[in-house]
Amino acid sequence: MFDSYQPLAGCFDELVNADGSPRPYTRRIHALLSSTPPREFARYQSLAELSLFNQGVTFSVYSDQQGTEKIFPICLVPRVLGAAEWAQVERGLVQRIRALNLFLDDMYGDQKILKDKVIPADLVLGAKAFEKKVLGMKPAGGVRIPIAGIDLIRDPDGTFRVLEDNVRTPSGVSYVVENRLVTKRIFRESVEMSSVRSVEQYPIELAHTLRAIAPDKDPDVNMVVLTPGVYNSAYFEHSFLARHMGIDLVEPSDLFVDDDTVFVRTTHGPKRVHVIYKRIDDAYLDPKFFRPDSMLGVPGLMGAYAKGRVTLANAPGNGCADDKAVYPFVPDMIKYYLGEEHTLAQVDTYVCMRDDDKKYVLENLDKLVVKAVDEAGGYGMLMGPQSTAAQREEFKRRIIAEPRKYIAQHRIELSTCPTWDPAREKLSPRRVDLRPFILTSPEGSWVLPGGLTRVALVEGSYVVNSSQGGGSKDTWVEREGST
Amino acid sequence: MISRVADSCFWFGRYIERAESSARLLQATRSLVFDADIPVTHCWQPLVIVSGEEAPFVERHGREALGNGELVQEYMTWSRENLVSLNSSVRAARDCARSIRDQLSLELWEEINELYLFLGRESTETLYWENREEFYRHVRRTTQLILGLVRSTMMHGEAMRFLWMGVMLERTAQTARILDMHHHTMMRESAHEIVRMALWMSLLRASSGHETFMKKHQGRVSAQSMVEFVLFDLTFPRSIQYTLKAAAEQLSRIWTEPHSSRARLNSLNAWVEQQKKELEIGQIHSVLTYVVDETTSICSKISEEIQGPQRATRVGDPGPAPASGQSQSQSQSAP
Repeated sequence: MFDSYQPLAGCFDELVNADGSPRPYTRRIHALLSSTPPREFARYQSLAELSLFNQGVTFSVYSDQQGTEKIFPICLVPRVLGAAEWAQVERGLVQRIRALNLFLDDMYGDQKILKDKVIPADLVLGAKAFEKKVLGMKPAGGVRIPIAGIDLIRDPDGTFRVLEDNVRTPSGVSYVVENRLVTKRIFRESVEMSSVRSVEQYPIELAHTLRAIAPDKDPDVNMVVLTPGVYNSAYFEHSFLARHMGIDLVEPSDLFVDDDTVFVRTTHGPKRVHVIYKRIDDAYLDPKFFRPDSMLGVPGLMGAYAKGRVTLANAPGNGCADDKAVYPFVPDMIKYYLGEEHTLAQVDTYVCMRDDDKKYVLENLDKLVVKAVDEAGGYGMLMGPQSTAAQREEFKRRIIAEPRKYIAQHRIELSTCPTWDPAREKLSPRRVDLRPFILTSPEGSWVLPGGLTRVALVEGSYVVNSSQGGGSKDTWVEREGST
Repeated sequence: MISRVADSCFWFGRYIERAESSARLLQATRSLVFDADIPVTHCWQPLVIVSGEEAPFVERHGREALGNGELVQEYMTWSRENLVSLNSSVRAARDCARSIRDQLSLELWEEINELYLFLGRESTETLYWENREEFYRHVRRTTQLILGLVRSTMMHGEAMRFLWMGVMLERTAQTARILDMHHHTMMRESAHEIVRMALWMSLLRASSGHETFMKKHQGRVSAQSMVEFVLFDLTFPRSIQYTLKAAAEQLSRIWTEPHSSRARLNSLNAWVEQQKKELEIGQIHSVLTYVVDETTSICSKISEEIQGPQRATRVGDPGPAPASGQSQSQSQSAP
């Protein structure tokens, strides 16, 4: 299948060198795919998709009132990472999460970093996600970001760069585990031969992390996953995680608070809840605390949290750490809190709140990618080089009106990975990113080997989000010492 | 277990049983139309009536349409407005299954999910038009498989007990309705022995009891034997007394302490037992009506008591649950 494969000029390819030869750690999969006739591969592809669909490994599409569910398309050609490069990424991720945790503690505590003018105070305090109401509250287990997902991209030199941080409710880990099950069935020998590091222990590690941050050392710690309900787009994942940890999946109406203690309603009366892995936006957690106009949520939950009677993972208010306008300052945070240089590169970013940056952005809209700081999923974005004059005018107007809301970056030529192109029945280079997941307890951090590789299935596209025609790939991390 | 989950288990059981029963009844009625010289209207109309759908159906399609077998089948099979149509039952069951996915085995989940996907496929519509028997047969087989998987792959704990109780109570009401429907037609036709026989056969087919009955009575078909079989036979797993007893047994294992749903289910059982001694065929309609009504209200009592003995809370009364279908804006970056 690699006979006619042409890496995209000017991009780093995840499986092959510029001359088309495999990298040392991709030789086995390269050989396997080379010997697979395209027709057979096409059959594997459709089998994989059918199996995901029948198993209900789906997400709901919001724009569609029919409650349509789609599978997150999978491309069976894996993305492979070498042991050495992964070890380096892993260290960078752990360092970053340590700093972000300290930053959040500081933000909701003494705000030293602002007083020392390392980060402009109005930038953080002006963030929509900075939650004044949690000032002074300390999370029971002492960790604000037990679960993080950091989006990485790879530039043409092969350097990984952080694109954005997700420290509120990063999603997608269920696809990592499910994708592995699918590819394992199809490439059984190859996975074994290539000595790929396992990912299926994630739910066990997550349960371990949640238990480690429980409010007290009660041996019967009751942990739950809190979902908005079956109509939420990520419901499959909520259910998946609860099932694989063997804990209950609850909706807000299943919980109530009495005397600053959280209970779940059961057929045999109320039962205390100690740890809540919440997959609900902060704004809908507790109507008494955040949104008096909202009927959703668990009234009194934040009271129990403030008293340290329940652990919420992740901590409410975390949004101010993954705000896109705060992102450019993470290297400064690392230096400030840890006294270390950051080891994971970032993407140079223009913060429109700064006048110089704004001026540059407005003059170079056709060259830049502009992002709204509080939007996600590929929405609220201007892809300058591919935009129309009208779209640029529209963004110009918006940036001038609300500069705090926008940042801009030069478009990075994302790395590509050979990807099955069903129309041409062959492999074509498609752009990918990577979302590794990091679990943190007071004992330290654990990084899931690999993470979620998202792929822009549309030719020429840079947008990998599932809502915008993205798919996913299994991510293989080579076991140390296997090549 | 969590109250909401218990309630969904209960309803999952009811929806699956309801879907199975609808498929069977539709199949049996199709067969009746061919077997007996009964005006077509008199075959299809009772089916709409026992489903409690006469008024909405007539409003939508007019009274004459009650004799239109195709329309009735479409309404009872596909209609999304009709909450008890086959399609609605399967969708509702699958919705429940999604919310209790952690209680179901993978095999069980895959079957209900595939049945739901089957009903949404274009090729299934073709099947429906080209081979109706096969269509209903597929639905019946899959729902029966699901019921089998419940017993053979689920943990026999509280979740399965709630689920199975739902199956049993739904079956009680369905059997009562089917018997009532045939009894009704019989009264109206009051006619020829051949018609009566066709109706009794249809009843047995509709309640999956044909061969079981024959084994017991070796061809001696009479109103008395038939009614006794469907109402009281404790070896027939669809008889009213069997299903009520089975439901009561599950309930007594869930709640050992007194609950009013338990007490009412026990007295309904006792009342049915009493009827065995004094039943006159003429009163069958009122007996069945009582069984259906009482079963319905026991079901709502159970749903109420599933909420558990909650204390009045001093702070943070949770207030009303969010309406289903209401989804919140999702957290950051869906994958």
